[in-house]
Amino acid sequence: MVAKHDFKQLDEHLFEVPAAFRSDMRVPARFYSDAELLKGIITDNSLQQLINTATLPGVVKYALAMPDIHQGYGFPIGGVVATELPDGVISPGGVGYDINCGVRLLATHLDHEEIRPFVDDLATVLYTNCPSGVGKGGSIKLKARELDQVLSKGARWAVKNGFGTEVDLERTEESGCLDGANPEKVSSRARDRGLKQVGTLGAGNHFIELDTVETVLDPEVARRIGLFEGQIAVQIHCGSRGLGHQVCGDYVRRFQKSISRYGLKLPDRELVCAPLSSPQGQDYLAAMKAAANYAFANRQVLAFHIRRSFEQVLAGKVSNHHIFQIYDIAHNMAKVETHRIDGKDMQLCVHRKGATRAFGPGSAELPTAYRDIGQPVLVPGSMGTASWVLVGTPESMAQTFGSTCHGAGRTMSRKKARKNIRGITLREDLENRGIQIRAGSMPGLAEEAPAAYKDVDRVVNVVHSAGIAKKVARLKPIAVIKG
Amino acid sequence: MGFEEVDHTADHALNIVGKDLKELFISAAEGMTYLMIAHTANISEDIARTVTLEAIDTEILLVEWLSELAYLAEDEMLVFKNFRIHQISSNHLDAEVIGGTVAALEKLIKAVTYHNLKIMKTQRGLEATIVFDV
Repeated sequence: MVAKHDFKQLDEHLFEVPAAFRSDMRVPARFYSDAELLKGIITDNSLQQLINTATLPGVVKYALAMPDIHQGYGFPIGGVVATELPDGVISPGGVGYDINCGVRLLATHLDHEEIRPFVDDLATVLYTNCPSGVGKGGSIKLKARELDQVLSKGARWAVKNGFGTEVDLERTEESGCLDGANPEKVSSRARDRGLKQVGTLGAGNHFIELDTVETVLDPEVARRIGLFEGQIAVQIHCGSRGLGHQVCGDYVRRFQKSISRYGLKLPDRELVCAPLSSPQGQDYLAAMKAAANYAFANRQVLAFHIRRSFEQVLAGKVSNHHIFQIYDIAHNMAKVETHRIDGKDMQLCVHRKGATRAFGPGSAELPTAYRDIGQPVLVPGSMGTASWVLVGTPESMAQTFGSTCHGAGRTMSRKKARKNIRGITLREDLENRGIQIRAGSMPGLAEEAPAAYKDVDRVVNVVHSAGIAKKVARLKPIAVIKG
Repeated sequence: MGFEEVDHTADHALNIVGKDLKELFISAAEGMTYLMIAHTANISEDIARTVTLEAIDTEILLVEWLSELAYLAEDEMLVFKNFRIHQISSNHLDAEVIGGTVAALEKLIKAVTYHNLKIMKTQRGLEATIVFDV
């Protein structure tokens, strides 16, 4: 366990474990926090895991963690590690098993008052139309060649097949499709798992949430991206499902065999990696991109189901039931990006494991409509609390390889949450507070209780104060759909 | 019972124990089944599957073993309660698993991880801690 005396405070919200702390560290390990969050951070192994990532070959400047940092496996959740091309490493465990797990935010032209009588029906219809839970397949059964298209084209495949609009694509990270995906690098078992799961939510911490925009903090940016106070919005949180899990597992296993070839010594087998320039590194990158595209397509099809649900419940009953997209972002991904390091442009492989890209104003990667305001960042909170919309800043580009937090971050183990909280009681509590719950598993619901998470407002205050993202709006849930 | 759930902030972790490799692998499988479906008594025993695996070391073999069972659970809603390991060495496993399909699983095991995975000799035999991504 890392103790307080092992790190120093660089400024109000930034802490550093020096590279001298352990002989195998190549760079310092930095993390963002405040005094309260710090109390939780030092109680589990998350800082140990962060320090481990500072040993990765080719790591640049520092290994980073966002204030939602908590213990994961290999990388901590909330971790950001950039490695230098061509010979810095890529680590499948640094992306995680749910490749391109991410969040999509949709918005409506409706305010809460207008849909208040229909929220109950809407929650039920969303639960029915958006398949969720373990092993649940979707309404789409892909043929092998269609799956190739999904893996190559991502959300573009979905839009081409009637599941969305060009505007959706413009307002998705990478326009919903990573170039360089190669379906041939995806195993037959992973492909089999992908044939029937496109357009499904899955289980665990994944959800669809109906929200109201409670407060707008930056009216100009909110107006530009399409948000206003009182507005109804919808979040989707999910990823690449069994296909992504299998891709990660396949390559973690394959890299265990090849690691000795590169003479790499690692403090944890889950950090297994390969030089990005190696055949193994290139194969993983191509397969990871294919899985990421599957996740973009998955969220696009779910967005279609949500639009269908709104039409089913609200058409003819409200002024305008149509839905438009604010943004879609990944928070488990490795991407080759150019960053300015010590006055020099460098190509880096930026691993974000439970961290969100947060590119600032002027970034060429952003859609034209958002280029001068910065990239929208979507930070879902725990069920029943709040979620945030932020934007990337020049400081996030300078300090964090264009990254920021991805959520509240857990603070209580699932075991403890199951022991201390009853799912049925929690559902009653939330419903008494005006939040409709539709969930397949009550123990699963208990594990995701607000008490099991950090205070998302506090996490967001840290990134806002540190300058690595800027507050735009705070959302409040009115219905949660879970597997 | 050769397994015990231990605290893990984001995911699930099990300590597993067995007097030898065969028992350790059975403990691991029983523990993971418990995570997926708490009331294992409800699992029928009408389906048998053969599992044959090769790996370069014992830890990888353990991850492969559990990954195979987690895959069958997600893909076919098939969970097992009777694990007959016919042959096991540090890099080979030959087993028959018996169980049945269930209507629903309480927990999706996304993956079995290698995080700090090390099978160690202790006074109780062999022990390891496995972290599951859920």
